[in-house]
Amino acid sequence: MIKEVHMPKLSPKSDEYFFGEWQKEPGDSVEVGDILFEVETDKVVSQVESQEKGTLQAQKVAEGDTVKVGDLVATIKVA
Amino acid sequence: MIYIPVTSLDVYHNFGLEYYLMTVKKFTEPVFLLWTTTPTVMLGKYQNAFDQLNLDAVKAQQLTVVRRYSGGGTIYTDQGGCQFTLITPTTNATIDFSSGLELITAALNQIGIAATTDSRNDLVVAGAKVSGSAQYVTPGYKLHHGSLLFASDLAVLAAVLQVDPLKLQAKGVQSVRQRTTNLQAQQPTWTATEFRQRLTAAVLAATHAHTYQLTAADEAQIAVLAAQRFAAPAKIYRQRGAFQYTHKRYITGAGLIQVAYSLAEQRVTALELSGDFFSALDPAVFARAVIGAKFTRAALQPLLAQQLAQTPIVGLDAATLTDLIFQDPAAK
Repeated sequence: MIKEVHMPKLSPKSDEYFFGEWQKEPGDSVEVGDILFEVETDKVVSQVESQEKGTLQAQKVAEGDTVKVGDLVATIKVA
Repeated sequence: MIYIPVTSLDVYHNFGLEYYLMTVKKFTEPVFLLWTTTPTVMLGKYQNAFDQLNLDAVKAQQLTVVRRYSGGGTIYTDQGGCQFTLITPTTNATIDFSSGLELITAALNQIGIAATTDSRNDLVVAGAKVSGSAQYVTPGYKLHHGSLLFASDLAVLAAVLQVDPLKLQAKGVQSVRQRTTNLQAQQPTWTATEFRQRLTAAVLAATHAHTYQLTAADEAQIAVLAAQRFAAPAKIYRQRGAFQYTHKRYITGAGLIQVAYSLAEQRVTALELSGDFFSALDPAVFARAVIGAKFTRAALQPLLAQQLAQTPIVGLDAATLTDLIFQDPAAK
């Protein structure tokens, strides 16, 4: 089954974030709590962790992209 | 709260210490640090050094360049100013600067400095910025990092952070220019050292913090993190993948010398010197001395000469190394 990873809301002030580094590449196995990627907003760099266990299937955004809360950022294949 | 005295003026060490505390030491109480550095420019995590810095001024002033793990813009700091760090264990990822800023603002007020917070989470005195803050949030910890200007060299600050706005690239986090001032105007009889001592004492009194002294075992691990994560030119300038140019030649008396480098806008963006030569040089120090320089013989040769004077390579002089860098790749 494929699970979608959407951009969580991190800032009470802003819904648009600068997308930073990926910590997992497509094909990598992912555990719940593993860091998937970083975003920056309001002078804060935040690491975002996985809520799923499985394999990262696809990255839907790249470093430097602007992402909005709720945007699809990745898909994870779960058993 | 735990207070850890920091005596190092090496920003790479001090960022290595922060990272060590968040990822290895993992205290279950908040940690407070107050530290200072040799003259340094600090980039935000997702900024481009070539966009944000006047690299000629950075070289002329012999400033250290470092990339923070926290967000935000580029700052200049020196021993006239200081940095505060608050590392708090938390699972709440929501962005909030208020607790750290309240602690520092209250401590400043306590020692007779009337600073207040503005909407950008900066501390201001009479409308001019005296402190900026940024954060780095991991699933277990929140690091709040702030810079305070007490008697910093504002002329250097202005010179190194002055860049051509036409150069700014779309992809990258941009700095926000603000009017800055030194806190010394509020307490003209204090030195920067006295300011730091008084501020530290005020924070410790307010939090009843107990002191933890770093051990030799802590310092050994911090040194590794500092070198790998903060001092390496590839981390500072975000060099990725292969170098654009690789020149190598066997030089009689020196051995095989290879120099690999990349350029952008006619400046050196990455450089790696390798080979079987005899030298005590630190390749990272060597690279940092050259990165950012204009790609001309006139700009590079003096920088190479300076490095080779400090850490010679047996049998190699700056003119020969410059020749190698500028040699026609077709001429072997």
